[in-house]
Amino acid sequence: MITVALVDDEPLVRAGLRALIDAEEGMGVVGETDDGSGVLDVVRRTQPDLVLMDIRMPNMDGIQATRLLLEGLSTPPRIIVVTTFENDDYVYGALRAGASGFLLKRSRPEDILTAIRIVHLGESVLFPAAIRSLAESSPSATTTASRAVASLTDRESATLRLVARGLSNSEIAGEQIVSPETVKTHVSNVLAKLGARDRTQAVIAAYDAGLVRPGGDG
Amino acid sequence: MIGLAVAPLVSVWTYRRWLYLLLGGALFFPFLLAALVALSMLRFRTIADAPAGLASPIQLTALLIATVLVAATAALRPVAALQAQVARTLLGGRLAGEPAARPTGSGTRLRAMVWLATHFVVGFAVSLATMVLLTETGLLTISPVLSDVETQLTPLPGDNRWLGPPLAFLMLVAFGYVLALVGAGLARLAPPLLGPSAADRLAAAQARAENLTERNRIAAELHDSIGHVLSVVTLQAGTAARVMDSDPEFTRQALSTIAEQTRAATEELDHVLGVLREERPSSTPQRSLSDLATLVDGARAAGVDLTVEQTGELDTVPAVVSRAAYRVVQEALTNALRYGSGQVDVSVCVRTDRIVVHTTNPVARTPRRPTRRTKGGHGLRGIEERVSLLGGTVHAGLEADQWQLEVTIPWKEPG
Repeated sequence: MITVALVDDEPLVRAGLRALIDAEEGMGVVGETDDGSGVLDVVRRTQPDLVLMDIRMPNMDGIQATRLLLEGLSTPPRIIVVTTFENDDYVYGALRAGASGFLLKRSRPEDILTAIRIVHLGESVLFPAAIRSLAESSPSATTTASRAVASLTDRESATLRLVARGLSNSEIAGEQIVSPETVKTHVSNVLAKLGARDRTQAVIAAYDAGLVRPGGDG
Repeated sequence: MIGLAVAPLVSVWTYRRWLYLLLGGALFFPFLLAALVALSMLRFRTIADAPAGLASPIQLTALLIATVLVAATAALRPVAALQAQVARTLLGGRLAGEPAARPTGSGTRLRAMVWLATHFVVGFAVSLATMVLLTETGLLTISPVLSDVETQLTPLPGDNRWLGPPLAFLMLVAFGYVLALVGAGLARLAPPLLGPSAADRLAAAQARAENLTERNRIAAELHDSIGHVLSVVTLQAGTAARVMDSDPEFTRQALSTIAEQTRAATEELDHVLGVLREERPSSTPQRSLSDLATLVDGARAAGVDLTVEQTGELDTVPAVVSRAAYRVVQEALTNALRYGSGQVDVSVCVRTDRIVVHTTNPVARTPRRPTRRTKGGHGLRGIEERVSLLGGTVHAGLEADQWQLEVTIPWKEPG
């Protein structure tokens, strides 16, 4: 079962997500808190696989809380930030801080459940097109990212580009005419070289380094 | 040609300004009288001893003192405000269209004082002239029936008493032109003295800009607040639909939550929209591209000869873009009726991430007379502003006898 913790200051949002996730087989809510400041505590107590994290909260916002979790724990849960507006500048900031993906509060229930499964499996990137347009409107090119990306082999760069387009491992295997295991190896190497926790972080690094251009084909 | 010559005599403004001047003259009279009496009392025992005659030193001094007194009253804010109001109504001219001068502006008070003095003194002169003229022309008109002795009083040359009436008529006409001239001169003089200075205009513009910025902030806050409520409601409704059988308690609760939240949000909208509204709310619903067919039919019925070409899926166009596109077509059709030969070609092309609206209408050789612009229409300027805000482009111009308008508005592809 996928265990989920909810972090959101609006009780109605927590109630809605809770009812949705608990009713779904293979998933369940194990803990909740109404502010970023309580996140370490609830995660330590309940050990969830995944955290749904609101961005705007009174005492500590979702971006800070994300950093807190990722730095404070040796095996932190995956984090999906949940937001009202897609246009929020915060969304890309949360992704940069280490979140694995983002969800809109107005998403259809089945999309919310699918997102949870995708991020938990880690086989593909959540909403690659949205990440692309967010990257478009954000300044990029950090030097650490550029250096790390420069250390990738040609094969690894090509794999990273396909990951950024949103392809799963089996789809990449089809593109590159190799076995899925080979793809998995490439992806692991990319994650290791970039110091990325997951595919989403690798994609962010790719945009940051300019390896993939938001407007073009990448 | 004759119309032009006679225009000042028949224009209503000539007579309004005459009234304005008479008013000034009438109001000046008490000041003048008071000054005259006071001076005479100081100089002589009784008024009867004071020398008569129009230009005696006493009377000129009295005139000066009275003028100064008049100017002093204009230093009072209610007086200044009132005189500006009256001037706008009776003088017309450019002053009527200007914003008001700041009452606390540095030069405003001085300018107002100069104006009132000018108004009253010139008005007094005109009033005197009016009185003299009316008397003289009256006498002249009846001179044919006067006795010899009485004719001495008139300015008639010799005893051609039959010249009286025509001479009177000429004098009236001449006076009419003089009045028109003086009135127009006064109306020309008013804006620099009563209207806003450059500093006033700047202050007014800055205040307006601050006001608009704050309105924007209120609007943005509202959007935030409503967006939050809508998200919550969507989640509750979506989840409830899904878990209705397995968790009926949640479903029941969700429905009342949705009702409360949306009610509160609509109340907030109601309140804030009331605060933000500047124009009267329209009684017709907002129109978008789905109403295009009605617009086209209406235009054809009004006599516009138009072809419409539409490609792409209208459903994929975001609502705000659809409304803007509708306005573009509407504007093109309106212009064709007003200025063009009444023929338009319209093409609406919906692509995956933008819409392109292109209209062409041949310009008429002799354009129909433009009807008076109705209030509320923004025209091309408004469209440019809206399209620019939406991130689009507008190209409008005359090319070889054809008025071309091309509007492109992009949007984000849904993720």
